[in-house]
Formats: sequence, structure tokens, C-alpha cells
Amino acid sequence: MKKNLKAIIQIIIMTVAMFALTAVSATHVSAADTSLQRVKQRGELIMVTSPDYPPYEFQVNKNGKDHIVGMDIDVAKKVAKDLHVKLVIKSMNFDSLLVAIQTGKADMAIGGINPTAARRQSVDFSKIYYTGGQSFLINSSDVNKYKSAKNLKGAKIGAQTGTLQYGLAKKKIPDATVKGMDKSTDLVLALKTHKIDALGIEKPSAEAYVKNDPSLKMISSGYSLNKNETGAAIAFKKGSNSLVNAVNKSIDQIQKKNLTDQYLASAGKYMKVNTVNTSMFHYWKYFAKGVEYTILISIVSTFFGVLIGVILALMRFSKQKWLRGLAISYTEFIRGTPLMVQVLFVYFGIGVVVNIPALISGMIAVSLNSGAYVAEIIRGGINSVAKGQTEAAASLGLSKGDLMRFVILPQAFKNIWPALGNEFISLIKESSIVSIIGVTDLIYQLNIVRADTYRGVMPIFVAMLLYFIMTFALTRVLNHFEGKMKHAG
Amino acid sequence: MQDKKVLEVNHLSKKFGNNEILKDINGTVKSGEVICVIGPSGAGKSTFLRCLNLLEKPTSGEVKFDGTDLTHVDEKQLINLRERMGMVFQSFNLFPNMTVIDNLKLAPIRVKHMKDDEAQKVAMHLLDRVGLAEKANAYPSSLSGGQQQRVAIARALAMNPEVMLFDEPTSALDPEMVGEVLEVMNELAKEGMTMVVVTHEMGFAKEVADEVWFMADGYILERNKPVELFDHPQNERAKDFIGKIIQNV
Repeated sequence: MKKNLKAIIQIIIMTVAMFALTAVSATHVSAADTSLQRVKQRGELIMVTSPDYPPYEFQVNKNGKDHIVGMDIDVAKKVAKDLHVKLVIKSMNFDSLLVAIQTGKADMAIGGINPTAARRQSVDFSKIYYTGGQSFLINSSDVNKYKSAKNLKGAKIGAQTGTLQYGLAKKKIPDATVKGMDKSTDLVLALKTHKIDALGIEKPSAEAYVKNDPSLKMISSGYSLNKNETGAAIAFKKGSNSLVNAVNKSIDQIQKKNLTDQYLASAGKYMKVNTVNTSMFHYWKYFAKGVEYTILISIVSTFFGVLIGVILALMRFSKQKWLRGLAISYTEFIRGTPLMVQVLFVYFGIGVVVNIPALISGMIAVSLNSGAYVAEIIRGGINSVAKGQTEAAASLGLSKGDLMRFVILPQAFKNIWPALGNEFISLIKESSIVSIIGVTDLIYQLNIVRADTYRGVMPIFVAMLLYFIMTFALTRVLNHFEGKMKHAG
Repeated sequence: MQDKKVLEVNHLSKKFGNNEILKDINGTVKSGEVICVIGPSGAGKSTFLRCLNLLEKPTSGEVKFDGTDLTHVDEKQLINLRERMGMVFQSFNLFPNMTVIDNLKLAPIRVKHMKDDEAQKVAMHLLDRVGLAEKANAYPSSLSGGQQQRVAIARALAMNPEVMLFDEPTSALDPEMVGEVLEVMNELAKEGMTMVVVTHEMGFAKEVADEVWFMADGYILERNKPVELFDHPQNERAKDFIGKIIQNV
């Protein structure tokens, strides 16, 4: 009991220390307003967006290369041009956009973001560059049932989590059940399969869907809203006045010349390109890239996971009390927190101190996580080796290191091989969580394809098949080695 | 026979918790001597043997090997001294993840830094000596108990030890395999190897031992030439024990 208490206290201290470190460095960064100066010195404007929201931003395949296009991208290009800097586009989940600018991963976030009062508390906004308005998507078969938004009373309404549409549906549609999902593609699929009755969505997006899918219709939201709840603005880190002012000059020009109409028109052209051929084979490059990254992350993380696992397991057998304590605390802490939180923490939390790219952050988080599990498996394996082996090795004068390397670990690995294989397979699948910070793994690419093709189910099926092929191939390889080891006594 | 003291034990005691297994053990093993340790189960024979190379740490007393007290050296020195003492276990304890030849070569290469071809030569020579040269590339699990124990003896010999400790080397064997192991040990004794053997094999003890130590209740109660001890035991416990064993034979 006492031991447990001690361990818990250790863990709490560790956690507090980590957060304190992050907090201190966070306040340190946000001192004077050098936002504009930094962008100019760098010569690059780093923008973050979530390219699954046509016509605002989405991916197209042009001449065999992926491009992020859309109205927002054109706005950002204009801004960058006016500042005489290069535009660098980073992509990640909508949920993470504001966090990304708060933690300095990017200079600005764009993505049809409505500058609501709540959001203004945590970030700064530019002037509104486009006012789209709110609407609902419904199934064509329901046109008579839902003639206007008034008929939606008591209906099941879907909206993207963390968006304005979600909050509005909750507040303004009486007795409605609001269901939130991360991706608008998932929501459209939910609508088409009648899991929801209507989908709250920005008007330009709704129009895009209706154009591409005859089974969908759009109705007006009927909300009476102020400008902040319908317009889209660019978000910046708090205290970026100089940069916001510079960007506002570009937005004034956009407003004056009505440039957004032009941008929307060209976005529409790209969307037609995307939906001309929606066969999965046409998008094989997207899936191939996803598979490539998933395999890359899995291999790197497996390697470092095993390395960390072996070190932690050996620490557990150390004579030094503090080494044992450290290994136990680490394992308990990592196993006691979700991988998703760890990924976010490494990318955004540690990222405040050292700026680590998303791919590396993902690999670090997955490796650290896997290491804790592998350590426990290896510890069990070491304990499973008969005591006589240690005594025989000691009687021959073998050092502790040699004992581990030549006698204990080879036998331990043979005993734990099936459990270890299981861990590797789940690592391939669990690595999919890195898509939330914009790593282009298979899940991320899957969502891109769904957004581009307006096809909800087929890409999921393809991804499922690809995951299965990867894990099945790994199983065969593992079995091969298991057979080899069985042969060796 | 030289008179050099290889092992010297003074006032050795060993407790596991409150359970005192060894109480004030004293004894000397000279170079070239073969000592057989006999006694009823629970007497502390195995614990005594394991204290000789410090696989068990004595609670008090001295264990001197070649003049150095093992209970007062650090880990590194202990490892250096242990490589000069071979040990054979009741349950063989071969490394199952290596072939027979690799079992023999591991310690010479890693501890003595012998070159691979030299270690190979030594190992093959020893395997030949225990009659298992043709099993060099087999894994231990494919060998019989008797063969495994002979490999274990060869493995210990590969380090060219100054003394060999045997902990009931034939107790885990099927009866028909006991002979082949004892034969190897017999030859080893004839070549002048210093040996301490915990055993129940009276015939072997009679033929090979210079001295037999009778242990019971954590003490060495009697020590004598094998013929004397087996035919005319002085101690009451020894009389009782030997009487029972002879009946069984």
C-alpha cells in the first residue's frame, strides 16, 4: 500500500514538472509583438489549414502532384504576395488549427473559421474576408418533410465537432439532437445513410455537395446571425497586432475587388476535376502515400519502441533503486494515458520548447508509447527464463552484460515472441492516431480521398483492405521467425 | 599429490530468514583431492556446495579459494575467481538457445577472450573426451539427460578450472544413464582434478573419493576415508543413514 502511494506521488510530481516546464516556456515566447517582423525575416508565411472542406480548402491531384487549393488558399496566397514572402502550407485536423497557432506551429490559421466571441478569447482574428452564411444539407427524399429549417424541430442534426454549426444547431433548433463528428465527409455519409436528418454546414460547402451529389439538397438555416457568426476570418496567435494589421490591408483589397467570387469560381473548376473520376484506382497515389507513411512510422516506432523497451526492462532489474523507480513511473504513466493525448502533447506541448515536425512528433509519441508496453512484455520474458540459466552463466564467470545478451534475452525473446508480434501489429493500427496532427498516414489520406471524391464508403473499404494486407504480411514474417526459433531448441 | 589448499572453509553459516541451514562448517580441500559430500536430504549439502562459489552468499564465516576470501571481494573479483571454479548442476542448465558447441565456446570466448578457432579446438577436444563429438551442432533439447550432463561437464571444463563442484549430477537422470556420467567423472578424478561432489552414489564415492564428508542438520558430523566411513561409521546419525542406504542397494 505504502509502495503504491509512493509511486503515485512520483507520477504526480513528474506530471506537474512537465506541465510547469511547458507553461514557463509558453509565457516566455509570447513577449513583445514581433509577429510581422518574424515573418518578414523568415521570408515565409506559415499557414495551417484542414484541407477537407471544399470549396474553402481541399486537395487535388494536378500533373501527378498533390496540391491544396480552394478559396482560402487563394486568400492566403494573396496575403503572402502582398507581404512579399513565400506561403508555406501545413495541414492538420480542424480541431487542432487554433492550437497550432497558439503553440507557434504556424503564423496563421485559415479554414472557413468563424470569428466568434468565444474564439476571440484565445486567438486574434483578421477582418472577415468572406461571408458565406449557414445552411443545412438534407436528403433529396426528404424535401417535402423539411421544407425549411423550421421543420427541423426535434430532428437529429449533425455538425463538425468544434465548429460554429455545432453550437448553433444546439442553441437554435428546438428539441434537436446534435451529433458531432470530426470530418464533414463522415457527416455527409451519416446523412445519406439516414443516421442524421440534416447536416449543419457553411453555405459554399453545402452548394459544393449539392452540385456533386444529386441525392442531397440544401435548405437555408433561417438563423438570424451577426457577422461574426457567418463570416470567415484568419486566426493568429494572441498579440500579433502587427501581422494582423498587415493582413487586413490585403483583405480590404479582396473585399473591394470582390476577389472571393473569382476564387470560388476557380475552386469550383478544381472540384470538377476531382469528381470526374472517383474510382479508387484513380486515387491509388493517395493511398500509396498513406501506406508509405504508415509503414515508415511503424518501422521507426517499432525499432525505437523495442530499444526503449529493452532499456526500461533492464532498468527494472537494476540494483539502483532510482533507476527501478524511474522505469516503473514511466511505464505506469504511459500506460495510464491515451496515445492520442501523448501525440498531441509531444507535438504541441514539447513543440513549444523545441519545434518538432509533425512526422517526427508522431514517431516519438508512438515509440515512447510502444516502449512502455514492450518493456512489460520483455520483463515478463526475462522472468520466464529459468533461474538455473543465471547460475550456470555465473558459474562460468560470465559478466552480467554477457549473461543478458547471450543467455537471458535470446531465450526471453523466444518466449515472448507471440506477445511481441501482437504489439507490433497493434502498433501499425494504432499509429493511425498521428493523422490528427496532420501526418499523411493512411487514415489521413483516406479522409482526403473521401473529401475529394464525395464518396463515403469505398475509401474506407480500401483503407481497411490495405491495413489488413500490412498486418497479414507482418504476421507471416513473424510466424516465419517463430518457426526458426522453435527449431533452435 | 600436492598439499596446496584449494578451498578452505572456516565457521561458515547460512541462514534463509530464521531457518539456519548451515551452522559452523569447517573444512579444507587440497589440490587433487576428491571430496564426496553425503547425507540425508535437508542436511544442507547443496547449500554448502553453492556457498563454495558464492552462488549463495554465506551469512557468516570465510570461504577461501586459492587463499582469497570470496566473502570479502567485489563483484568483479568474484566473477574473475568464479571462472576458475567449474560447476555442474543437477538439472544440467545448458543454454537451450545455443548448439552444444556454442555452449562450450561461449565462456572461453567472452570471458577468456579466446579466439574462435582456438575455442573451437578446445571445445571439440572436450566433446570428444565425453564421447559426444558427433553432437557438436545439435541443440541441447535433442539430447538425452545423460548426454546433456556430459555436455555440461565439458562446458565447465572448457574454462580449464582448478576445481570442479558437482551438485548431485546424477540425481535427475534415468538409472540407465547414470553410468555414463559417473564414468566421465571417474576419468576426471583419475587425471587429478580437484573435485567436491554432492552425491548419493556410494559406489562412486568408494571408488574415487579421498575423503567422504557426512552432513546432517547443517553440520559436518563425520569425515573419513570412504572405506572407513561406509564400513565403520562412528557417528550415530551416519550409522543410521548408511544403514538405510545399504538396505536399499
